[in-house]
Amino acid sequence: MAYQIIVCGGLAPDPLQTLEPVTTPTGPGLKNELMLPNVFDPWAGHALYEAANLAKNQPGSTIKVVSLGPKAKLQQVMMTVAQKLPFELIALDGPGGGFTDAVSVSKALADAIAAIPGFDKSQALIFGGWESATRGAGVVMQMVGERLGITEQFLAVDELTVDPDGALVIKERVEGGKHQISKCAAAPAVLAWATGSLPEPPNHPQTGMANMRVMMPALQKAKPTALDPAAIAYAQVALPAVTRQTRIVKDVPAADIAAEIAAWIKQ
Amino acid sequence: MNTDPIEQKPLDADIVCVGFGPATGGFLTTLTRGLETIDSRAMPGLPPQVLCYERADDISFGVSGVVTRARAIKASFPDLDTTEIPMAAPVRDEKLVYLLDPHGATRRPALMQFADKVIEALSGLLRVEHQGFAVPFCPDFLHKKDGFIFSLGQFNQWVGQQVMMTGLAQIWPSTPVSEPLIENGKVAGVVLAADGTEVRAELTVVGDGPIGPVGRRLDEIVGMPEGHKRDEWAVGMKMVVDLPEGVDLPEGTVFHTLGYPEPEIFGFFYVHPGRVASVGIFVPSWLESPVRTAYRYLQHFVQHPYIWRYLKGGRMRSWGAKSLLESGRRGEPQLAGDGFARIGEGSGSTNVLTGSGVDEAWLTGVQLAEGVLELYREGLPFTKENLEARYVARRRKSWLEAEGQIAEKARNGFQRGVLQGFLGMGLAGMTSGSLSVPRPAKDKTPGRLEDFYIGRLTRSQIDTIRLRCELESEPLHDALMDACGWPKIEYDGQILVSHQDALLMGGKVQAPSEFPDHVVIRNEHVCDDCGEKMCIEICSGEALHIAAEKPAGRPGFDREKCVHCGACLWNCVHENIDFCAAPGGLHSAEN
Amino acid sequence: MEKILVLLHTTDEGALPKAALETIAAAAVIGAYDLGVIGANAAAAAQSVSAGAAAVFAVEGEQFAQSRYATDAAAAEAIAKASGAAVIFATGTMRFNRALPGVACRLNGACETHIVAIEPDLKVHRWYYRQRMEATLSRAARPWILLLEPGAFESAPAAPGAAATPIAVTVETRTTVTGYHAPNADQQTIRPDAQLLLVAGAGWTKKQKDGATHTPEAAGLILNFVQKTQSSLGSSKSLVDLSGEGQSVLPFLSHLHQVGQTGSSPRHRKGLATCCHGEEPHVVGWRFINDRRAINLDAACGWSRGKADVLYVADSFEVMRELEKLL
Ligand SMILES: Cc1cc2nc3c(=O)[nH]c(=O)nc-3n(C[C@H](O)[C@H](O)[C@H](O)COP(=O)(O)OP(=O)(O)OC[C@H]3O[C@@H](n4cnc5c(N)ncnc54)[C@H](O)[C@@H]3O)c2cc1C
Ligand SMILES: Cc1cc2nc3c(=O)[nH]c(=O)nc-3n(C[C@H](O)[C@H](O)[C@H](O)COP(=O)(O)OP(=O)(O)OC[C@H]3O[C@@H](n4cnc5c(N)ncnc54)[C@H](O)[C@@H]3O)c2cc1C
Ligand code: SF4
Ligand code: SF4
Repeated sequence: MAYQIIVCGGLAPDPLQTLEPVTTPTGPGLKNELMLPNVFDPWAGHALYEAANLAKNQPGSTIKVVSLGPKAKLQQVMMTVAQKLPFELIALDGPGGGFTDAVSVSKALADAIAAIPGFDKSQALIFGGWESATRGAGVVMQMVGERLGITEQFLAVDELTVDPDGALVIKERVEGGKHQISKCAAAPAVLAWATGSLPEPPNHPQTGMANMRVMMPALQKAKPTALDPAAIAYAQVALPAVTRQTRIVKDVPAADIAAEIAAWIKQ
Repeated sequence: MNTDPIEQKPLDADIVCVGFGPATGGFLTTLTRGLETIDSRAMPGLPPQVLCYERADDISFGVSGVVTRARAIKASFPDLDTTEIPMAAPVRDEKLVYLLDPHGATRRPALMQFADKVIEALSGLLRVEHQGFAVPFCPDFLHKKDGFIFSLGQFNQWVGQQVMMTGLAQIWPSTPVSEPLIENGKVAGVVLAADGTEVRAELTVVGDGPIGPVGRRLDEIVGMPEGHKRDEWAVGMKMVVDLPEGVDLPEGTVFHTLGYPEPEIFGFFYVHPGRVASVGIFVPSWLESPVRTAYRYLQHFVQHPYIWRYLKGGRMRSWGAKSLLESGRRGEPQLAGDGFARIGEGSGSTNVLTGSGVDEAWLTGVQLAEGVLELYREGLPFTKENLEARYVARRRKSWLEAEGQIAEKARNGFQRGVLQGFLGMGLAGMTSGSLSVPRPAKDKTPGRLEDFYIGRLTRSQIDTIRLRCELESEPLHDALMDACGWPKIEYDGQILVSHQDALLMGGKVQAPSEFPDHVVIRNEHVCDDCGEKMCIEICSGEALHIAAEKPAGRPGFDREKCVHCGACLWNCVHENIDFCAAPGGLHSAEN
Repeated sequence: MEKILVLLHTTDEGALPKAALETIAAAAVIGAYDLGVIGANAAAAAQSVSAGAAAVFAVEGEQFAQSRYATDAAAAEAIAKASGAAVIFATGTMRFNRALPGVACRLNGACETHIVAIEPDLKVHRWYYRQRMEATLSRAARPWILLLEPGAFESAPAAPGAAATPIAVTVETRTTVTGYHAPNADQQTIRPDAQLLLVAGAGWTKKQKDGATHTPEAAGLILNFVQKTQSSLGSSKSLVDLSGEGQSVLPFLSHLHQVGQTGSSPRHRKGLATCCHGEEPHVVGWRFINDRRAINLDAACGWSRGKADVLYVADSFEVMRELEKLL
């Protein structure tokens, strides 16, 4: 079965950066947001690697990545992502960041997907991360699916296999460290991925170069995309204040420590 | 679209560049402006295919000052609007400040101590404030007025974006180049470290900076020009600080400092827009201390009363370190050969006398690009001869060469002593190089601990410290500095933090797992007899450490902490360290 | 006051999950509410807690007994329409996290997830950037679905009331739920309801004082502790990452155990970290754990700097051996 795999993925600040909220004329943002180095959203990254794996096993499949973010940042991040595997980029030039409205983001993404020349819903697998590393909401993929009229949806997927009869067998994370297993007879479906099981592919310069030949024009003519800035009223965004007075217990025999811990556990 | 990975075959390009620093920035900016009308020789019908490979995980992860006169940068961007580049500002107020020693722990020669006494005695008259004496004039050779303050990361990012958006060059981060590809005695391209991919190109532009492995390999292959040597280095270590509320130094303020934390250590303090400062020091190779440690010295530097009055209560946002090749023109390699050209600091462009490397590197890139465009237009190949005629000749005729010659001997004096060093710098600077202190027959190298600490620590004190540090797997520098009277560092969790916290809070250091260790000890037995273990003492990331798991005394290497500063490379006096190409390291875009 | 609907689902066994009562309590503070329940045994479950509800709805039947997007979304949509509520309080379980955002879209409304607090004027609190900053926000869009983070709200006692009005829903789906995959019961080490979280760090697999690694012993000490105390097991990233690199590792650990910035932020009353350095990216995952202790050889490890209430500077092997005797 050949699938049209569409991966929705945004950008997120490089994970070790220090983040601090600030108020901007257009609502909350991050301090020095322009300067923060970005990465492809890690959860969407897992979705992308799984997409590559699926496409490899399902000859004829294609991968397109739909990404909304400031054009310059998209370009920068693609220089890394494009080296990982072959895909086509549909770039939407608009605001990134966690404080944007998920509803309008889902609309922009769904519109972009629907407008893909040759988009055939019956073959579509819409991939994404189960949540973003910015907003952390886990709502965009479901809304994209709804807008495209796809009601077979899966959240926090860790595994997808295709049965010999063409059914999708999907493992989703549920409470208690368990996975729920479902069988979906056929595409179309929305799969919002958790970590999956594949490592990040190493960089492959040839792939990067080949990708960039088509990506650069796509980036240059990325569609300006506006989101609804008034959808959410933020009263406040603040960093948590979390410093404790740590009591340091040193040079005490292990048995005494164990006794103290045992008592604490029983409290 | 086919989704099978493309099979491994050599990549063909017209020009391949190694490293994306200011030198390659200048090259690609100039080149792409002239490329549209030119036909590729590798892929006729297309414009020339230009690829640039940068080892760091983003093109904005460099480390530098930067204050620069920006003569060449301004020539490339005559209407440069600093508000377009985060952290950039025009230079406004520039001072050279002599810092007195507040603790009496630095090793000042007697004459300098005497001078300190005089300055202190006349402090009212000389307007000494907070133990710093602002020299009434900033010597002409040092000034950066009319110039800019940048964050190198932000500047590189801005330049990279302009270049990429032309669509005429691709800059690939996270892609280290392991070595030049040599065929029939010519450079035929490069080999990528990740998977050994060969990238073939008619011209290889080597701009991999002071410690780049490609440049070093070329030096081995083609040899250095007669009398040229790369033997003067420094570790530059800096932090970027959010200044506390109430500190209203105007953006564009610049202090160059000398005298503290050791007389040989120069320092800087620049104010960016938005109440942010870059502060840092240079620990040079002629500081003979066998336990020179940039991190501890940086902590003392920022606490000098002259500086601390501005920083206290502020917060470190970024931190980083990198080596500087200070040999300048004396360290100039073969600038061009068949199929390759060298630009930037690795080509000997950095000027130690003026304390300037960015604009010089940029200029070399511009000059090469101008030459390359000429050769393209005339249909000539990139041979040694042609590159020398179009690139090297341009370089020789420019201010870079003239100023490089003045600077060439400026620091000879430091090989004799601190005072001779300052004298030599002053002489060379004031007389445009006609006068200088001659270099001694043998350069200073770090001595044995026992010799270095004569008069300050006894042999038995040193032995005790050694033993204790060995037991606790700690490097020596902290214990030795404590013993010499340096005050302990009281962490404030904001600016004064542990070295490891600086890696995380400031440097955001990361290492990809799939690469082999890039710092390799060639022969571990050599380490067994190495008393000083300079590699451990100097290491900017505590990546090289006393490894409890190895036979006594052999250093271990923890790649996840390495900031790729390259200091271990030139600090191992036994030349027992190999520093290879790898991605990772700093993930801060503000340095 | 705007009309509120409390939307709940039952478990596969036909009971309400613990967090259901938290959702009811959170809504009751704000104002009058309708109640709707989806799933196996939904009508009975609804009645068991419907004391405060104005109207009570249920969607049940075989199709709705399982956790599945298409059926859950259709059921929720039907109840939301029947109630006509402007604001919908729902339990932020995986089941509803999957289904309700799409329902919001269907109803032309909006949806907020992972809500940790709600103010009387319906400003909600939730975390952004992987738990690094907390925002207080509101929306004008209606209906507005609020998914409440389990464990973040006080719960109310169950009070039975009026019977539910059943709603018939028909929906087609191509998906069948075939079952669960759970780690072997006695290897079950993630227990979301446990009082105590034990975090194991990479130190367990490192060379110890004698210059050797003791991974099998570490595995025994950790598992034994977790079973005896019925605590939940978490891990640092470094430790779970080791499994990919062919090193001898703890076989019962997977990425699901990872706590931290790129892992989970579990909710337990107490947490004990062992052989874990307490780096910031790990400790952010402890956000909801109030009472924290750590055992580490290194007195200068991250926990010492205000991240734990107590740091025991000691060998985790020795302490855990002693604990084994005591528990
Ligand atoms: C702390 C500090 C402060 C400084 N202050 C100033 C100042 O105030 N003013 C000033 O003018 N100069 C200053 N300098 C010097 C200045 O930064 C350098 O001279 C300048 O950056 C040199 O530019 P470059 O392009 O030659 O090399 P670099 O900037 O070093 O760039 C080389 C690039 O090549 C990459 N690279 C290396 N090896 C490989 C490989 N194998 N494969 C791919 N890529 C590779 C590197 O990652 C790097 O990005 C300072 C330097 C330091 C460290
Ligand atoms: C993008 C990114 C995301 C990340 N996300 C996460 C995340 O979600 N979760 C996470 O955990 N980490 C995360 N990290 C990694 C994090 O920064 C640390 O590297 C990691 O948490 C370290 O794990 P550790 O403390 O177990 O290991 P180490 O740092 O190796 O520490 C081991 C500790 O064990 C101690 N030790 C050794 N032997 C003993 C003994 N016998 N008794 C007592 N103590 C002993 C040592 O003193 C040391 O403190 C992330 C990092 C990045 C870059
Ligand atoms: S690498 Fe060099 S400096 Fe380091 S211990 Fe070995 S010989 Fe000494
Ligand atoms: S090991 Fe890395 S951080 Fe340490 S000195 Fe060498 S290059 Fe610098």
